[in-house]
Amino acid sequence: MATDDRTDVLVIGAGAAGAAVAWRLARAGIGVACLEQGDWVDPRAYPHWRADWELHRHTDWSAEPNVRRLPQDYPVNDSASSISPLMYNAVGGSTIHWSAHFPRFRPSDFRVRSLDGVADDWPIDYATLEPFFDLNDRMMGVAGITGDPAYPPKSPRQTPPIPLDTLGVTMARGFDRLGWHWWPSDSAILTRDYDGRRACVNCGPCDLGCPIGAKASTDVTYWPKALASGARLVTRARVREITLGPDGLADGAVYYDREGRVHEQKARAVVLAANGIGTPRLLLNSRSARFPDGLANRSGLVGRNLMFHPYAMVRGVFDRPLGGHRGPIGCSIIGQEFYETDPSRGFVRGYSFQVARGLSPIASASGGSVGDRVPWGREHRRAYDERFDRTIMVAIIGEDLPEPANRVDLDPALADSHGIPAPRVSYTLSENSRRMLDHGIARAREALEAAGAREVAFNPLLRAGGWHLMGTARMGRNPATSVIDAEGRCHDVPNLYIVDGSTMVTCGGVNPTSTIQAVALYIADGIIRRRA
Amino acid sequence: MTPGALAERRDLLILVLDSLVPASAEFPGAGVVALDHVLAVAAASADLESLLSRGLQVVEEAARANGVSGFAQASPDDRESVLRQVERSHADFFEALVRHTYDGYYGHAVVVTRLGLDPGPLHPRGHRIEAADLPDLSRVTARGPIYRQA
Repeated sequence: MATDDRTDVLVIGAGAAGAAVAWRLARAGIGVACLEQGDWVDPRAYPHWRADWELHRHTDWSAEPNVRRLPQDYPVNDSASSISPLMYNAVGGSTIHWSAHFPRFRPSDFRVRSLDGVADDWPIDYATLEPFFDLNDRMMGVAGITGDPAYPPKSPRQTPPIPLDTLGVTMARGFDRLGWHWWPSDSAILTRDYDGRRACVNCGPCDLGCPIGAKASTDVTYWPKALASGARLVTRARVREITLGPDGLADGAVYYDREGRVHEQKARAVVLAANGIGTPRLLLNSRSARFPDGLANRSGLVGRNLMFHPYAMVRGVFDRPLGGHRGPIGCSIIGQEFYETDPSRGFVRGYSFQVARGLSPIASASGGSVGDRVPWGREHRRAYDERFDRTIMVAIIGEDLPEPANRVDLDPALADSHGIPAPRVSYTLSENSRRMLDHGIARAREALEAAGAREVAFNPLLRAGGWHLMGTARMGRNPATSVIDAEGRCHDVPNLYIVDGSTMVTCGGVNPTSTIQAVALYIADGIIRRRA
Repeated sequence: MTPGALAERRDLLILVLDSLVPASAEFPGAGVVALDHVLAVAAASADLESLLSRGLQVVEEAARANGVSGFAQASPDDRESVLRQVERSHADFFEALVRHTYDGYYGHAVVVTRLGLDPGPLHPRGHRIEAADLPDLSRVTARGPIYRQA
């Protein structure tokens, strides 16, 4: 086994959270090494440069690792889950294929138990995270407009909002007619050149990556700065286990390099940033006499309380072209009329409307995320033309509540290409979430019809919608009911930190990356303070 | 099933594809523009090639069972009727066939152009969106804060 030079902090995972932490620590003069099982994505490799770009969405550029099956991916047994987990393994992690919708959690999201009597409060609050939200916004570059009454006042956005275009203006009119909240989305996509990066050219499919770096994947935001500050990044390095010293503290990790050789990377502290599935998988694979049930798992909660954001998709068909193929696919308008708890609705907590763009030519035929394929046969062309470029997709993104039975554990048979046991995901949609989504579907239909839709169809639960992987090593003050403390340290192993979506106590009703990164920066600040 | 078995049924495949997406005044049929894609994806996967090839055999047999000497000899109405029968009896085959037909058809430059879009790579051209004023948000802001203090 080769032994690499000892470092101050070992970061595992180079995605949204790992990149932020690596940059923050390196900039403070702390030695950082990061192990990433994926590779750099060559901007010239994105499908946007090819005429058949759309065909790649369901093959080698699928967001599902079980479909993509690249050498750097690991399989996930999701047969017992109603939602398939999505992720990308590369420098930049899942920010490579995210849509960059970038809302923050709201203040109430951190006080769910106090306000609504469900789940648990976070041990930190919005005010604590606010400077880290702002710092992260500057690093990622956010298009948007201040003044949204759904949030406390925010710092100025880095560029003007993504253009609403015909589609967004049409949908805004629907919300206005109903008197409901809407706002141009905060999007981590530049509408003007910023910080050495180019502005978006509105090509559309951000979910296949961004070949010009206008979308804020962390390979183009944090990593160049982290590397310039001295961080060391090792790619195609798959971690097998985190190791412990005789004092019971984490002292590094064992990993396979791209040739399959085993290395040991020693460190004074370890930061896990491998996402809400990869992190519990690695902890559960790091068994020892001291931790026979998995590292830092004396609570038995590692892998439990898995939260996805369950998505329902509602599509309206209009009588006129909407130009929906233009502009960032996932970013237009956010609507938060039904975000906070209202007991009269029959469920606790709430959801957002995420108004996306229209569908590209092939997706229009297959029905996209609603899945109602255009019928074949003599009526096909007419049916297709009635739909193409005339649709608006409204996603309902609901707040899932943590439930111990929803979990990640190790599959007894499945393993990755290095023989490391693969994760198994068990997830059932709760009754509260079902009622929430049903409410959202009905309200989205009202909004689409108010905007002029002549036909509305929906998918009650998007199976391939597990973009957000959260809650599997949650934060809390009580070691019996949480895995990490309010500073991100594992209760059981105080020099082992967790910074990805696993940390989340609850998941809000919005896309989580902005909040995940703010939490990661906050935890990094604590590491720096303690070192000083 | 030998490699290229689907290609050997090329004529039948063209007729089936044209039944799925028939030609119209402005658009070609799928037998013209989706054929190469369907053959290519089948050639890349022995499982898919086998599924599609066997499925076409079922189509042919279903046509004969309906009283004609083969799918090619059936009228357009009867072809559609046969395919609907097979869609019910061999759902996996049909699902794959339609999926790859639509992929090939709506990914083809001729069709993309007729849809009014520029074919070819999205980059570096992107899409032009006309500049517009910021939307009027006065109604939304007039309500004041809608978030809960916590």
